[in-house]
Amino acid sequence: MDWLEDELRRALAREDPPDGLAERVMARSARGPSGARRWLAAAAMVVVAAGAAGAWRQHQGNQAKQQVMLALRLASAPVQHIQSEIRGISQ
Amino acid sequence: MKSLVKFACLTVLPVMAAPQQFQLNLDSVAAKASEHVDVSLNASTLQFAAKFLDSSDPDEAKVKKLLVGIEGIYVRHFSFKSAGAWNEADLEPVRAQLHGPEWSKIVGVVSSEDGENAEVWLRTSGNKSIGVAIVATEQKEITVVNIAGTIDLETLAEIGGHFGVPKVKPADKPHKEE
Repeated sequence: MDWLEDELRRALAREDPPDGLAERVMARSARGPSGARRWLAAAAMVVVAAGAAGAWRQHQGNQAKQQVMLALRLASAPVQHIQSEIRGISQ
Repeated sequence: MKSLVKFACLTVLPVMAAPQQFQLNLDSVAAKASEHVDVSLNASTLQFAAKFLDSSDPDEAKVKKLLVGIEGIYVRHFSFKSAGAWNEADLEPVRAQLHGPEWSKIVGVVSSEDGENAEVWLRTSGNKSIGVAIVATEQKEITVVNIAGTIDLETLAEIGGHFGVPKVKPADKPHKEE
Protein backbone atom coordinates (compact mmCIF):
# COMPACT_ATOMS: atom_id res chain seq x y z
CA MET A 1 0.00 0.00 0.00
CA ASP A 2 3.04 2.28 0.17
CA TRP A 3 2.72 3.15 -3.46
CA LEU A 4 -0.87 4.30 -2.89
CA GLU A 5 0.11 6.45 0.08
CA ASP A 6 2.94 7.92 -1.94
CA GLU A 7 0.57 8.72 -4.80
CA LEU A 8 -1.94 10.34 -2.47
CA ARG A 9 0.70 12.31 -0.67
CA ARG A 10 2.05 13.54 -3.97
CA ALA A 11 -1.41 14.43 -5.28
CA LEU A 12 -2.54 16.21 -2.15
CA ALA A 13 0.76 17.91 -1.44
CA ARG A 14 0.54 21.66 -0.95
CA GLU A 15 1.89 23.57 -3.89
CA ASP A 16 2.69 27.21 -4.04
CA PRO A 17 0.89 29.15 -6.76
CA PRO A 18 2.95 30.23 -9.69
CA ASP A 19 4.65 33.56 -9.36
CA GLY A 20 2.43 36.56 -10.05
CA LEU A 21 -0.87 34.64 -9.88
CA ALA A 22 -2.41 36.96 -7.26
CA GLU A 23 -1.48 40.04 -9.31
CA ARG A 24 -2.94 38.51 -12.48
CA VAL A 25 -6.23 37.60 -10.72
CA MET A 26 -6.56 41.08 -9.22
CA ALA A 27 -5.82 42.71 -12.55
CA ARG A 28 -8.41 40.55 -14.32
CA SER A 29 -11.11 41.28 -11.78
CA ALA A 30 -10.35 45.01 -11.99
CA ARG A 31 -10.88 44.93 -15.75
CA GLY A 32 -14.45 43.66 -15.22
CA PRO A 33 -16.37 41.34 -17.52
CA SER A 34 -15.36 40.85 -21.09
CA GLY A 35 -16.93 42.87 -23.90
CA ALA A 36 -19.24 40.05 -24.94
CA ARG A 37 -20.45 39.56 -21.40
CA ARG A 38 -21.07 43.27 -21.04
CA TRP A 39 -23.20 43.31 -24.20
CA LEU A 40 -25.08 40.24 -23.05
CA ALA A 41 -25.85 41.88 -19.69
CA ALA A 42 -26.92 45.09 -21.41
CA ALA A 43 -29.16 43.16 -23.81
CA ALA A 44 -30.73 41.28 -20.91
CA MET A 45 -31.36 44.57 -19.11
CA VAL A 46 -32.99 46.04 -22.22
CA VAL A 47 -35.24 42.99 -22.58
CA VAL A 48 -36.24 43.13 -18.91
CA ALA A 49 -36.83 46.90 -19.07
CA ALA A 50 -38.91 46.56 -22.25
CA GLY A 51 -40.94 43.78 -20.68
CA ALA A 52 -41.51 45.79 -17.52
CA ALA A 53 -42.49 48.87 -19.54
CA GLY A 54 -44.91 46.80 -21.60
CA ALA A 55 -46.47 45.27 -18.52
CA TRP A 56 -46.75 48.70 -16.89
CA ARG A 57 -48.38 50.14 -20.03
CA GLN A 58 -50.84 47.24 -20.11
CA HIS A 59 -51.64 47.82 -16.46
CA GLN A 60 -52.15 51.54 -17.02
CA GLY A 61 -54.29 50.83 -20.10
CA ASN A 62 -56.49 48.41 -18.22
CA GLN A 63 -56.89 50.90 -15.40
CA ALA A 64 -57.87 53.64 -17.87
CA LYS A 65 -60.32 51.25 -19.50
CA GLN A 66 -61.90 50.41 -16.14
CA GLN A 67 -62.22 54.11 -15.37
CA VAL A 68 -63.95 54.71 -18.70
CA MET A 69 -66.33 51.82 -18.06
CA LEU A 70 -67.13 53.13 -14.59
CA ALA A 71 -67.71 56.68 -15.86
CA LEU A 72 -69.96 55.52 -18.69
CA ARG A 73 -71.87 53.18 -16.40
CA LEU A 74 -72.58 56.03 -13.96
CA ALA A 75 -73.47 58.39 -16.81
CA SER A 76 -75.71 55.94 -18.59
CA ALA A 77 -77.93 55.07 -15.63
CA PRO A 78 -79.80 58.44 -15.53
CA VAL A 79 -80.11 58.53 -19.32
CA GLN A 80 -81.59 55.04 -19.23
CA HIS A 81 -83.95 56.14 -16.48
CA ILE A 82 -85.12 59.10 -18.56
CA GLN A 83 -85.57 56.87 -21.60
CA SER A 84 -87.66 54.38 -19.71
CA GLU A 85 -89.82 57.11 -18.16
CA ILE A 86 -90.45 58.62 -21.60
CA ARG A 87 -91.29 55.20 -23.01
CA GLY A 88 -93.65 54.69 -20.09
CA ILE A 89 -95.47 57.93 -20.95
CA SER A 90 -95.74 57.18 -24.65
CA GLN A 91 -97.08 53.66 -24.09
CA MET B 1 -45.23 92.94 -16.98
CA LYS B 2 -43.30 89.71 -17.20
CA SER B 3 -44.87 88.48 -14.02
CA LEU B 4 -48.31 89.39 -15.39
CA VAL B 5 -47.68 87.29 -18.52
CA LYS B 6 -46.37 84.47 -16.37
CA PHE B 7 -49.44 84.69 -14.16
CA ALA B 8 -51.71 84.60 -17.22
CA CYS B 9 -49.87 81.58 -18.61
CA LEU B 10 -50.15 79.76 -15.31
CA THR B 11 -53.82 80.52 -14.75
CA VAL B 12 -55.57 81.10 -18.07
CA LEU B 13 -53.87 78.50 -20.25
CA PRO B 14 -54.67 75.49 -18.07
CA VAL B 15 -58.30 76.63 -17.93
CA MET B 16 -58.37 76.97 -21.71
CA ALA B 17 -56.80 73.54 -22.07
CA ALA B 18 -59.21 71.89 -19.63
CA PRO B 19 -62.21 70.51 -21.51
CA GLN B 20 -64.35 70.31 -18.38
CA GLN B 21 -67.30 72.59 -19.09
CA PHE B 22 -68.50 73.43 -15.61
CA GLN B 23 -67.09 73.17 -12.16
CA LEU B 24 -68.18 70.12 -10.24
CA ASN B 25 -67.94 72.05 -7.00
CA LEU B 26 -69.85 69.73 -4.73
CA ASP B 27 -67.79 69.91 -1.58
CA SER B 28 -70.85 70.28 0.64
CA VAL B 29 -72.32 67.12 -0.89
CA ALA B 30 -69.04 65.25 -0.50
CA ALA B 31 -68.94 66.20 3.17
CA LYS B 32 -72.30 64.52 3.76
CA ALA B 33 -71.78 61.46 1.56
CA SER B 34 -70.86 58.05 2.86
CA GLU B 35 -69.27 57.07 -0.46
CA HIS B 36 -67.84 59.22 -3.18
CA VAL B 37 -66.72 58.29 -6.70
CA ASP B 38 -64.72 60.84 -8.63
CA VAL B 39 -63.75 60.10 -12.22
CA SER B 40 -62.00 62.65 -14.43
CA LEU B 41 -60.85 61.51 -17.83
CA ASN B 42 -59.34 63.90 -20.34
CA ALA B 43 -59.00 63.32 -24.07
CA SER B 44 -55.57 61.71 -23.90
CA THR B 45 -56.68 59.26 -21.20
CA LEU B 46 -59.77 58.39 -23.23
CA GLN B 47 -57.68 57.80 -26.35
CA PHE B 48 -55.27 55.68 -24.36
CA ALA B 49 -58.11 53.65 -22.85
CA ALA B 50 -59.67 53.19 -26.28
CA LYS B 51 -56.55 51.34 -27.41
CA PHE B 52 -57.25 48.70 -24.79
CA LEU B 53 -60.86 48.17 -25.81
CA ASP B 54 -61.33 45.01 -27.79
CA SER B 55 -62.97 45.77 -31.15
CA SER B 56 -63.93 42.11 -31.58
CA ASP B 57 -66.08 42.31 -28.43
CA PRO B 58 -69.44 43.87 -29.45
CA ASP B 59 -69.86 45.75 -26.16
CA GLU B 60 -66.35 47.11 -26.08
CA ALA B 61 -66.58 48.00 -29.77
CA LYS B 62 -69.66 50.05 -28.96
CA VAL B 63 -67.82 51.88 -26.20
CA LYS B 64 -64.87 52.48 -28.52
CA LYS B 65 -67.18 54.00 -31.09
CA LEU B 66 -68.87 56.12 -28.43
CA LEU B 67 -65.54 57.54 -27.30
CA VAL B 68 -64.82 58.99 -30.73
CA GLY B 69 -65.56 62.69 -30.43
CA ILE B 70 -65.54 62.75 -26.63
CA GLU B 71 -62.95 65.13 -25.22
CA GLY B 72 -63.51 64.46 -21.56
CA ILE B 73 -65.70 62.65 -19.07
CA TYR B 74 -66.09 64.00 -15.56
CA VAL B 75 -68.25 62.19 -13.05
CA ARG B 76 -69.04 62.75 -9.39
CA HIS B 77 -71.18 60.14 -7.72
CA PHE B 78 -72.21 60.29 -4.09
CA SER B 79 -74.01 57.75 -1.93
CA PHE B 80 -75.63 58.56 1.38
CA LYS B 81 -76.47 56.34 4.31
CA SER B 82 -79.92 57.81 4.80
CA ALA B 83 -82.56 59.68 2.82
CA GLY B 84 -82.59 63.39 3.50
CA ALA B 85 -78.86 63.56 4.08
CA TRP B 86 -78.56 66.07 1.25
CA ASN B 87 -80.82 68.85 0.01
CA GLU B 88 -81.40 70.66 -3.27
CA ALA B 89 -79.36 73.65 -2.12
CA ASP B 90 -76.27 71.41 -2.17
CA LEU B 91 -76.61 71.14 -5.94
CA GLU B 92 -77.10 74.86 -6.48
CA PRO B 93 -73.43 75.57 -7.31
CA VAL B 94 -73.71 73.17 -10.25
CA ARG B 95 -77.22 74.14 -11.36
CA ALA B 96 -76.33 77.84 -11.34
CA GLN B 97 -73.64 77.17 -13.94
CA LEU B 98 -76.05 75.21 -16.11
CA HIS B 99 -78.40 78.17 -16.24
CA GLY B 100 -75.83 80.02 -18.33
CA PRO B 101 -76.73 80.86 -21.96
CA GLU B 102 -74.60 78.10 -23.47
CA TRP B 103 -76.56 75.38 -21.71
CA SER B 104 -80.10 74.28 -22.44
CA LYS B 105 -82.07 71.62 -20.64
CA ILE B 106 -83.24 69.05 -23.14
CA VAL B 107 -85.06 66.68 -20.84
CA GLY B 108 -85.88 66.25 -17.22
CA VAL B 109 -87.77 63.55 -15.39
CA VAL B 110 -89.16 63.87 -11.89
CA SER B 111 -90.48 60.73 -10.25
CA SER B 112 -92.61 61.88 -7.37
CA GLU B 113 -93.03 58.40 -5.94
CA ASP B 114 -89.46 57.25 -5.46
CA GLY B 115 -87.75 60.62 -5.70
CA GLU B 116 -85.63 59.64 -8.68
CA ASN B 117 -84.98 62.76 -10.72
CA ALA B 118 -82.79 63.14 -13.77
CA GLU B 119 -82.08 65.96 -16.14
CA VAL B 120 -79.94 66.29 -19.21
CA TRP B 121 -78.47 69.57 -20.34
CA LEU B 122 -76.89 70.23 -23.70
CA ARG B 123 -74.09 72.68 -24.31
CA THR B 124 -74.11 74.21 -27.75
CA SER B 125 -71.78 76.38 -29.76
CA GLY B 126 -73.49 77.74 -32.84
CA ASN B 127 -75.65 74.90 -34.02
CA LYS B 128 -73.28 72.26 -32.77
CA SER B 129 -73.64 70.39 -29.50
CA ILE B 130 -70.32 70.33 -27.72
CA GLY B 131 -71.16 68.83 -24.38
CA VAL B 132 -73.66 67.19 -22.10
CA ALA B 133 -74.40 67.64 -18.44
CA ILE B 134 -76.37 65.10 -16.46
CA VAL B 135 -77.71 65.70 -12.98
CA ALA B 136 -79.41 62.72 -11.41
CA THR B 137 -80.64 62.48 -7.86
CA GLU B 138 -82.21 59.80 -5.76
CA GLN B 139 -82.98 59.83 -2.09
CA LYS B 140 -79.64 58.30 -1.27
CA GLU B 141 -77.61 59.04 -4.39
CA ILE B 142 -76.44 61.95 -6.49
CA THR B 143 -74.69 61.70 -9.85
CA VAL B 144 -73.36 64.69 -11.76
CA VAL B 145 -71.74 64.13 -15.14
CA ASN B 146 -70.10 66.34 -17.71
CA ILE B 147 -69.23 64.81 -21.04
CA ALA B 148 -67.30 67.23 -23.22
CA GLY B 149 -67.49 66.73 -26.95
CA THR B 150 -70.12 64.98 -28.98
CA ILE B 151 -71.93 61.95 -27.65
CA ASP B 152 -74.77 59.77 -28.80
CA LEU B 153 -77.09 59.57 -25.79
CA GLU B 154 -78.97 56.63 -27.30
CA THR B 155 -75.77 54.58 -27.40
CA LEU B 156 -74.83 55.78 -23.92
CA ALA B 157 -78.13 54.46 -22.60
CA GLU B 158 -77.63 51.20 -24.49
CA ILE B 159 -74.25 50.46 -23.00
CA GLY B 160 -75.72 50.88 -19.54
CA GLY B 161 -77.29 47.47 -19.99
CA HIS B 162 -73.85 45.93 -20.28
CA PHE B 163 -70.86 45.73 -17.94
CA GLY B 164 -72.91 44.19 -15.19
CA VAL B 165 -75.52 46.92 -14.98
CA PRO B 166 -79.04 45.73 -15.64
CA LYS B 167 -81.14 47.90 -17.93
CA VAL B 168 -83.90 49.83 -16.27
CA LYS B 169 -87.31 48.46 -17.17
CA PRO B 170 -90.00 50.83 -18.44
CA ALA B 171 -91.63 52.56 -15.52
CA ASP B 172 -95.14 51.68 -14.48
CA LYS B 173 -95.38 54.19 -11.71
CA PRO B 174 -96.77 57.73 -11.59
CA HIS B 175 -94.33 60.25 -12.94
CA LYS B 176 -94.10 63.74 -14.23
CA GLU B 177 -92.06 64.81 -17.22
CA GLU B 178 -90.81 68.36 -17.46
